[in-house]
Amino acid sequence: MKRFLPWIVPGLLILVWQAAGQTGMLRAQILPMPTAVASAAWTLARTGELWSHVEISAWRALTGFAIGGGIGFALGMANGLSRLSEAVLDSTLQMVRNIPHLALIPLVILWFGVDEQAKIFLVALGVFFPIYVNTLHGVRSVDRHLLEMGRAYGMTGRQIFLRIVLPGALPSVFVGLRYGLGIMWLTLIVAETISASSGIGYMAMNAREFMLVDVVVFAILIYAALGKLADSIARWLERVCLAWNPVYAKAR
Amino acid sequence: MNMHVSDAAPDPAIRASTRGARVVLRGLEKSFGAHRVLHGIDIDIPAGQFVAIVGRSGCGKSTLLRLIAGLDQPAAGTVDPGGEIVRLMFQEPRLLPWQRVLANVEVGLAHADRQTRTRRSQDVLAQVGLTGRGGDWPAVLSGGQKQRVALARALVGQPTLLALDEPLGALDALTRIEMQELIETVWREKGFTAIVVTHDVTEAVALADRILVVEDGRIAMDVQVDVPRPRRRGDAAAAAIEGRILDRLLTRQATFSA
Ligand SMILES: Nc1ncnc2c1ncn2[C@@H]1O[C@H](COP(=O)(O)OP(=O)(O)O)[C@@H](O)[C@H]1O
Ligand SMILES: [Mg+2]
Repeated sequence: MKRFLPWIVPGLLILVWQAAGQTGMLRAQILPMPTAVASAAWTLARTGELWSHVEISAWRALTGFAIGGGIGFALGMANGLSRLSEAVLDSTLQMVRNIPHLALIPLVILWFGVDEQAKIFLVALGVFFPIYVNTLHGVRSVDRHLLEMGRAYGMTGRQIFLRIVLPGALPSVFVGLRYGLGIMWLTLIVAETISASSGIGYMAMNAREFMLVDVVVFAILIYAALGKLADSIARWLERVCLAWNPVYAKAR
Repeated sequence: MNMHVSDAAPDPAIRASTRGARVVLRGLEKSFGAHRVLHGIDIDIPAGQFVAIVGRSGCGKSTLLRLIAGLDQPAAGTVDPGGEIVRLMFQEPRLLPWQRVLANVEVGLAHADRQTRTRRSQDVLAQVGLTGRGGDWPAVLSGGQKQRVALARALVGQPTLLALDEPLGALDALTRIEMQELIETVWREKGFTAIVVTHDVTEAVALADRILVVEDGRIAMDVQVDVPRPRRRGDAAAAAIEGRILDRLLTRQATFSA
């Protein structure tokens, strides 16, 4: 019974929305009824158009995330472990961090046009910083006592890294990961809306030109669903990887 | 009271031959910046002896123990635990929270093959009274149980020298007494040399063959505890020794504040 409680309010909202449309209080040009959105979704799914847009958007998101996240993780680890690397790189990265990555859109369009690289570059840049900052913080906050214990028990550098530093930094890395996922979708929405010839954002902008408001609303819902999906996967990974931590074990 | 001493107290000479390390410190010095913490420590600890180091907070007990355990290097002097297997136990259990109890114990046995590691670790867990807890996360254990795991991890590598830095400092009174008995039991069984730092003089007298009082970076007192084992709480000879040491520590404090 408890499981249904969170669904009552959204369910009611949809009913009210539908009723408002049905009675003409809400015009379809402003916000089409849920049933209209559903039927637009059905049409898009049947023609296959939906899947090709979702596919290209997901590909951009994941590629950009892998590149930005990978570099962020590697640099975070390097700067957390090596004072030298940190001295050389950290202040520069912190400076660059102050530039909102979306402010680069005009420049990025000049560089890459409306090509795939533009979107992937922006996503990678946006995802980089939260992962970098949180990985660095995670490595820094690894319990010094445990490091000393590892050394006292004769662990090699490699063992200390794999058995103490990496798992110790992981909770913080996950914070960065989930934050980065949020930025990933946000960046992609903006980038696809402004300049693209495919993807969910393009589908929405294209629909706007033809006044297909139901498709626009549907595109927004897809973004929400994809964002939720990514977050759920991250949470699940977190629960699996951090099962030792009572904070996450309880959330199961 | 002291009549039974010679036959009941463990004989270091006999232990020496087998599994304890002899520890020799000569002219040991250590400074942190301009602050000289230890000056000229000379100690000779026979194999198998149980030594307690007591002293006021900040007098350099931990520093001394870390030098003995090889965790730090002295500014001058030599530490010779004779190429032995040294294990250290701290006030905090320092378990890896992301490894289960058994894997934590196995940390103490890095070089054995997997099967031996698991089997020996399980044996030691049983010795410290944690049979069947190998699959638990450290987070679900009580403070005393965590220290038992830390003890098991230290013991599984069959050390010849076990160095303990206030290992029971964070435990409640009853758990402390239980742990003291456990440590004494395994020490008697295995015959390693034990050096325990403690701020609790009662604990020192309950456990040790010999108590070293550190003051101003030097050994101020070197007391033999000739009380037969197993020791009863409230033993008169033990109480007398405890009194002498406490007097020394407290007089110093009075002199300082005067
Ligand atoms: N790593 C360190 N750096 C600077 N000073 C230290 C360090 N370790 C210990 N000290 C100083 O050395 C003195 C002895 O410390 P310690 O051996 O920990 O004392 P105890 O264990 O007897 O309480 C203290 O004054 C402490 O501040
Ligand atoms: Mg100390």
